[in-house]
Amino acid sequence: MTDDLHVPGDGEGADDDSLAAEFALGLTPADELGPLRERLRTDAEFAAAVAAWQQRLASLADDIKPVKPPRRAHKRLNRRLFGAERRPLLQKLWVWQGISFAALGLAAWISFSDLTPDQVPTAPVYATQISNADEGLTVLAVYDPSREALVLNRTDGGARAGRVLELWAIAPDAAPVSLGVLPDVPNARVTLPEDLAEIAGTLTLAISDEPEGGSPTGAPTGEVLGAGEVSEL
Amino acid sequence: MFGAKDRKKVEKLIGKVALRDRVAFDGLYEATSAKLFGVCLRVLNDKAAAEDAMQDTYVKIWNNADRYQSNGLSPMTWLITIARNTSIDRLRAKKSGNTGFDSVESTLVAPGLTPEQSAVAASEARKLQKCLDGLEKDRAAAVRGAYLDGKSYAELASRFDVPLNTMRTWLRRGLMSLRECMSS
Repeated sequence: MTDDLHVPGDGEGADDDSLAAEFALGLTPADELGPLRERLRTDAEFAAAVAAWQQRLASLADDIKPVKPPRRAHKRLNRRLFGAERRPLLQKLWVWQGISFAALGLAAWISFSDLTPDQVPTAPVYATQISNADEGLTVLAVYDPSREALVLNRTDGGARAGRVLELWAIAPDAAPVSLGVLPDVPNARVTLPEDLAEIAGTLTLAISDEPEGGSPTGAPTGEVLGAGEVSEL
Repeated sequence: MFGAKDRKKVEKLIGKVALRDRVAFDGLYEATSAKLFGVCLRVLNDKAAAEDAMQDTYVKIWNNADRYQSNGLSPMTWLITIARNTSIDRLRAKKSGNTGFDSVESTLVAPGLTPEQSAVAASEARKLQKCLDGLEKDRAAAVRGAYLDGKSYAELASRFDVPLNTMRTWLRRGLMSLRECMSS
């Protein structure tokens, strides 16, 4: 602690920790910045003091609520870093976190099983993942408009005993529309109703827990086990 | 919101990003962009500017991920510090046309903390809120103003209506009592 108001920028004889704290806060006066940066590069102890302050101060961000950035931000970022180069579909499938190798293989199979090797989807392909960690349930959904089919693959988990999994499509500001009960086998293929197919990119897909035979009311009656926003691959 | 499991996950992703793994970079973005966008928005208070700052932040992360492992900060601290500093650079550039404070330098160079130091710093960090409450009100407000609003000494001095050097002295005193409180 010092009362000297004219602490030299190189911190010689001054309170290093104050200088480190100021630096971490971005308060270092412009004329002191150069020497201080130099010190940061050469003086490990000083660098550690700055890092410790950055760590202390970062808790000021704890209360800041996460805000989902607009989807275009991610696309812009990728364009800026990686240019217009199109990424292979397989790589793009990785955008979901927590997706397993097995799921990736199955997703690839879903996407390409009907295609000959030189065929590439022309229209945008949409996909999402619906999962519920507590239930150990993961369902991968890929919609290829050129094939007019929503292909589902349950890569993990299944229905509760004596119950079924029912799939729902939810358009923005609309009630869920049932796409049917998922079969016992992991793979399923669903044709989207035309009005939903047109807006495939805006849909959210959800799965609910329902009595055998599916929801008796036409709306989800049991617990919604998971939902995923469809995004363009 | 970021427990030990998330910490591990984010750490692993940054490690892969350092190896130029674009898939991991996407994963890192998915896992952290909402928090970082929140931080950028808090500092800049403008959606378009926050979007730009967040983009700059991820560009820096992509280009400097290899520096992460050696600098000992917890992964979220590292990411948040880059986002905060980048936002403040942008805020100041808008205000004065120059950036006084180079965020890449100040965040990414620091090679310093040993794992022990890092653990101490992390446990200290949890006390920050309580310790800030224990500071004189104006001093706590000045620390917050500098961190979250990018206020300079000059701006803080005029806000609290004290001479510049007085401001510097009492903010430093505030910071040192803060450190004492956090390490006690």
